[in-house]
Amino acid sequence: MSFWRLALRNLTQRKVRTGLTVLSIAVAVAVLYTLLSFNKGYSASLEQQLQQMGVHILVVPPGCPFEAASLLLKGGKPPTYLKESVVREIAATPGIQIAAPGFMSAIMHDDRTDIYYGMDQRTITLKNWWTLKAGGKWFTDDQTDGVVLGSDAAVTELVINEQTDPFAPGEELWVPELNRPLKILGILEPTGTQDDGFFYVPMTVAQQIFQQPGKVTTVAIRLEDPAQAGVIGTQLEKLEGVEVITMSELLGTQQRMMESAKLLVFAIVFIAIAISAIGVLNTVLMSVFERTREIGVMRATGAGKQHIFSLIWLETLLMTAIGGVIGLGVAIVGSGLMERAVVAGLASVKFMTMSEHSQLATFDPRIVVMTLLFVLGIGLVAGVYPAIRASRQEPIEALRTE
Amino acid sequence: MTEPAFDVQLSLVAEAAGMGKIYRRGAEEIHALREISVAFAPGEFTCVLGPSGAGKTTLLNLLGVMDVPTSGALRVAGTTIADAGRVRLAEGGRDRLRRENIGFIFTEFFLLPTLTAVENVQLPLLWAEKDDHSYAVELLERVGLGHRLTHRPTEMSGGEMQRVAIARALINRPRLLLADEPTGNVDTKTRDGIFDLFRELNADGLTIVLATHDGELAARIDRVIHLREGRIVEGA
Ligand SMILES: Nc1ncnc2c1ncn2[C@@H]1O[C@H](COP(=O)(O)OP(=O)(O)OP(=O)(O)O)[C@@H](O)[C@H]1O
Ligand SMILES: [Mg+2]
Repeated sequence: MSFWRLALRNLTQRKVRTGLTVLSIAVAVAVLYTLLSFNKGYSASLEQQLQQMGVHILVVPPGCPFEAASLLLKGGKPPTYLKESVVREIAATPGIQIAAPGFMSAIMHDDRTDIYYGMDQRTITLKNWWTLKAGGKWFTDDQTDGVVLGSDAAVTELVINEQTDPFAPGEELWVPELNRPLKILGILEPTGTQDDGFFYVPMTVAQQIFQQPGKVTTVAIRLEDPAQAGVIGTQLEKLEGVEVITMSELLGTQQRMMESAKLLVFAIVFIAIAISAIGVLNTVLMSVFERTREIGVMRATGAGKQHIFSLIWLETLLMTAIGGVIGLGVAIVGSGLMERAVVAGLASVKFMTMSEHSQLATFDPRIVVMTLLFVLGIGLVAGVYPAIRASRQEPIEALRTE
Repeated sequence: MTEPAFDVQLSLVAEAAGMGKIYRRGAEEIHALREISVAFAPGEFTCVLGPSGAGKTTLLNLLGVMDVPTSGALRVAGTTIADAGRVRLAEGGRDRLRRENIGFIFTEFFLLPTLTAVENVQLPLLWAEKDDHSYAVELLERVGLGHRLTHRPTEMSGGEMQRVAIARALINRPRLLLADEPTGNVDTKTRDGIFDLFRELNADGLTIVLATHDGELAARIDRVIHLREGRIVEGA
């Protein structure tokens, strides 16, 4: 006989109740683990994205929200535009390597939003990590036909056209706003960023679609020395009708937005955990009351208060540990499924989580250990009160109860 | 009566002098025991006989240091539990004394339903951080249950359960066996079997105090203490 065995026997005595309690712990732990992994993956992907950007400053029209993409996704149009002449002024500023103008705007459909991105050679130079799938090529600056699809955009088109074969360069994409088709020139390899969702067209074509000739929505700037971002940013602010966003500001905003979404989700998880902890406490407390006489008998056969305390505490700990291990196992094995659920739950920040291909939940043994320690902590805390109640029972009173 | 020699006094298994017990329930005071003076020598088989409410269980609980007196003195197994109405041994010490010296048997057996017979017998060893499976088996054989080792309480008769409880009370090799109405829940035939077992254990030198209101059973025991309304009216 050992305490472990006795505790296990007591737990298996009430299978349904113990099972339900273990289940609630398992669910809470699975969600906690998934969120922690997801969070870590997200931070990593954000950092990678910044490094990839090679964009140090964004110039946008005044009053344009930092997150133009979120506005566009919701079907909004940029409130104001930049004049193309501004681009030349920016390009003339010393210390700037590339100033790449872009025209980004969206067309809402019932079931999707098409985002067009008008650009020229300078954007291709800026985003030198972009590669096209085999057989593809970019449009030239004087071309007025042609579109390059982001990898997700290509998939979406595929589904909409009920096609099973991937789009091949040479096929055509009908653009109602232009009342003519655009020739598909190429498809972008997945980048793991929001770039995957766009249709890339020549600048003049984009201006035509949205009827804004001579206007652009952003100028992406790469500096010769990224450390100069602050100084040059201040200089650019003197230009008329512009707003300057340095990338560190942009990243900060993204992070803040993510933080607040995360905070909400974590708050919900912690409530779930608190509820399951109270469930554990309640289960153990009930079993303590039911076993009043048994505890009295243990005292009569020589058990001290400390023995009763240990036994009840151990029972709680075992229950939470079993729940924790089950929950972790399920979360690790089913991490793909869980991630999709969490991403759906975090829909408001989905556009920031980039492409659906990028894996955000990363396996990290430290998170496993952290989650386990956390659940054991809950067991320790939830077990204290029932254990104290049990050990304080007067043995003769305990034996007198019916 | 001659003055007993000092060493004899010391070797008494348990001894109460002017011991009383008052239960307090709010403002109400219940005098369960009054001025009890009684001694139990090694190897004695004593019956505490009295009607319901006489204080038998209270007396056994005090002798087994499950509870403490509110007046008088009590010594058990050579240790002073209370003196002049003051408790001299802290709860941890009382638990230990009980663990090492006392065996308890109850009317309703009080076996743990989740444990098998042999596990129930071993239970008291758990508190002493010991394990002695073979002795547990030996005791179950001794009480005639060698063939019921892995049975659970629900799979046994009342008489069998009480025998398991007796084996459990013996596992710590106690100096004092306390049996509170041990045959109150079994028929007369089973009762006689269990009583014979007590007899045998006593013949082997075990000190036993058995509480009952069964006069017929008491008549078979050499020493009978009559308890009535918390007082010893005969046999101290
Ligand atoms: N914990 C308690 N609190 C208050 N009163 C108690 C308590 N235990 C016992 N009593 C009272 O003390 C008196 C003696 O009780 P005790 O249980 O010792 O009697 P008993 O001789 O064992 O009776 P029975 O044969 O019915 O078991 C009774 O009046 C009982 O009501
Ligand atoms: Mg009684």
